Amino acid sequence: MSLTRGRLLGAAGALGTAALARGAAAAVPSATSPSASNLSEPFYGRHQAGILTPQQSHTYFAAFDLTAAKRSDLIAMLQTWTDAAARLTAGLPVQPAGGGSYDAKKIVLDSGEATDLPAARLTLTFGFGPGVFVKDGTDRYGLAAKRPAAFVDLPRFNGDQMIEGKTGGDLSVQACADDPQVAFHAIRQLARLADGVAQLRWVQAGFRSAETGETPRNLMGFKDGTQTVSNPDHFVWAADGPRWMRGGSYLVARRIRIALEHWDRMNVAFQEQTIGRQKVSGAPLGMTHEFDQLPLAATDKDGNSIIPDTAHVRVANASTNDGAQILRRGYSYNDGVSFVAERWPPWRQGMEYDAGLLFVCYQSDPRTAFIPMFDKMSKIDMLNQFATHTGGGMFACPGGISQGEYVGQDLFA
Amino acid sequence: MNQSSAFARSFSCKVAALLSALAVLQIGAAGANPPQGLLEVLHRHTLLTSTVTDNGDLNPYAIVVAPVSAGRIKADDVLVDNFNNVSNLQGTGTTIIDYSPATKKTTLFAKLPQNVAGCPGGVGLSTAMIMLKSGWIVVGSTPSTDGTTRTKGDGCLFVLDPNGNVVATWAGPNIVDPWGNMAVADNGTTASLFVSMAGFDVPAPTVKDPATGAAVIVRKATVLRIDLAIPEGKPPTIVRETVIASGLPQQADLDNFLFGPTGVALGPDGTLYVSNAVESSIVKIPDAVTRTTSAGTGTVVTSKGLITDPLSLIMAPNGHLLSTNGLNGQVVEIDPVAGKQIYAQWLDVDQAQTPPGNGDLFGIAIKPDGTGLYYVEDDTNFLAEATP
Repeated sequence: MSLTRGRLLGAAGALGTAALARGAAAAVPSATSPSASNLSEPFYGRHQAGILTPQQSHTYFAAFDLTAAKRSDLIAMLQTWTDAAARLTAGLPVQPAGGGSYDAKKIVLDSGEATDLPAARLTLTFGFGPGVFVKDGTDRYGLAAKRPAAFVDLPRFNGDQMIEGKTGGDLSVQACADDPQVAFHAIRQLARLADGVAQLRWVQAGFRSAETGETPRNLMGFKDGTQTVSNPDHFVWAADGPRWMRGGSYLVARRIRIALEHWDRMNVAFQEQTIGRQKVSGAPLGMTHEFDQLPLAATDKDGNSIIPDTAHVRVANASTNDGAQILRRGYSYNDGVSFVAERWPPWRQGMEYDAGLLFVCYQSDPRTAFIPMFDKMSKIDMLNQFATHTGGGMFACPGGISQGEYVGQDLFA
Repeated sequence: MNQSSAFARSFSCKVAALLSALAVLQIGAAGANPPQGLLEVLHRHTLLTSTVTDNGDLNPYAIVVAPVSAGRIKADDVLVDNFNNVSNLQGTGTTIIDYSPATKKTTLFAKLPQNVAGCPGGVGLSTAMIMLKSGWIVVGSTPSTDGTTRTKGDGCLFVLDPNGNVVATWAGPNIVDPWGNMAVADNGTTASLFVSMAGFDVPAPTVKDPATGAAVIVRKATVLRIDLAIPEGKPPTIVRETVIASGLPQQADLDNFLFGPTGVALGPDGTLYVSNAVESSIVKIPDAVTRTTSAGTGTVVTSKGLITDPLSLIMAPNGHLLSTNGLNGQVVEIDPVAGKQIYAQWLDVDQAQTPPGNGDLFGIAIKPDGTGLYYVEDDTNFLAEATP
């Protein structure tokens, strides 16, 4: 939806503030010539935004540990976060500057780096981790009985090399926007508002870029995201389980380091065999166009599969996973370089890119989606020789809310 | 860790496809003539089990086929150890898995601590592993803390009971880094182990020989015979240690950790064959079971040709030696009497390494019925078999 004055007024009015945009100089964009970054996404609705929302160009994903001892403190923080998120996604600061300037003697509740920036289609998607229900055997907030059956612990998968400091979390907030500064700004404000109740455990920035209408390419140079989920009502939104998760979805995040140096040494034919698609066109092997159906049954004259049996697209395809589908919403990441010992011969050691994919997916039930899919993929996907999962977590993202409610309210009912 | 049959089939297809693509590299292809050896009749490759354990250990090295049932081990079970822990660093693995061909189930057989009293440098389980007829398992440690010889400490040999518990640790001036696959002459109540020992005064891989520009070669590696007494119901004890080969070359390597004498295989006449990874040769040590002195560097049986960084070495039922290459995915079949390399066959054709399969092979073992091979795939951390 475009960020029109009327909609903005509506959002602002609901929050009881007269501010129209971040900072006094923020102009309301023209309704006749909106650029992508001038659009805003609705915060309220049956489902949380940031799941089926057309994917923005940047993410800043944050996982928090809860430090609150009391349930009431957690509820109060979620109420504060809800108010702040409604403002931020509408392109407003957490605390407006009255009269165009701040009181120089006061500490302001907004760091200000998004002042003058538009909403940039910011979405904030909230999730509850296992520690909300039980942490170290303790039911801290009286919520243990509310844990959905579908919200199982992720098992350890073959090849996992999870880093403690980049794994897990009691809460998640996925910030996505068409401006990286807007996404970071949002998490920064929420983290600050959580002081004394929750603290950051790990964060991950990500990006994706493509010409309009083109499927973005990942850091391996291949189009990534050609296949999309076919029936969101069935595959994405939780229909069973407790009421508080109705209309919600289960999020699995995985920080996947890709050995780009190793990958770059492979010839294109082998790269294409590994992925199962042609590198330039994105077409499945043996086909012509990107969106052609995967010819999974096609074989060569010797009976060998055209798309190898261990190619990534084959092992990830619904037809080889009992029909399971997930909504992928990942981003590339690039955290510079660090010392690494690769987990494949010849066991290369040295400074290498800490870059790859922040894989994010949503599903109605992880027990029949990500978990069995990746259990198989972790063992046979040819990509495993280049990719190592180093962090992530699973979070239950509740359904959306209406104005006057707070995020996850039904969980505490 | 169990392997589905669907997976096994898909792997066979992959290997078949890649082998076809690499046909130009095939050496000694089988024709209509009677087989010259064992390898040419092995066409089916099946992945059996992942060796990755719950603690993330990987990089499988040794393969041992259990000669007897004892403790948790059933006869013909396949034991495989891991050289790396979850950090990916070589010389840090502490686990041994037990794969049952009968049930196709895989269990964790042993998980040692990272440090064990009596093993000076810590634990990094190597390819030196054997199971005695009395049920005891002997496994070597060639440890490091950073995956290179820069932090390589002195290793040791562990004795494990058949339930995976450490019952003895052997170290000392002759036992520095038990490295390649062991051979054994096992009489039940006595036995002789043959172990390649590398790592004597090997510096960090960054220490270069100015003449070659490569890591320095230190000619101090040995082959040690360890004569054991095995009292009924008690762990084996060392009766005698005899250095039967010495002055063999060893060399650090940043990626491959260590080159040196590696595999050893005992011939029916008591000749011990040793793979010399630094010089890509196979040497022989006469009278290995009985000799009381070192034979020095032995006599070269064959060198270079198809052999490139030879690692594990075993004796096939037909009297031929099988040697896994370190620098590609081939195993070489050798007639040791004639001193002739018969051919090489690809076991691993993974193009993610250059040349294909580089660094992927290490341990190898003959199946109990003599019809095929077990081998490890270090690229995917699987135990695999090759069968007709």
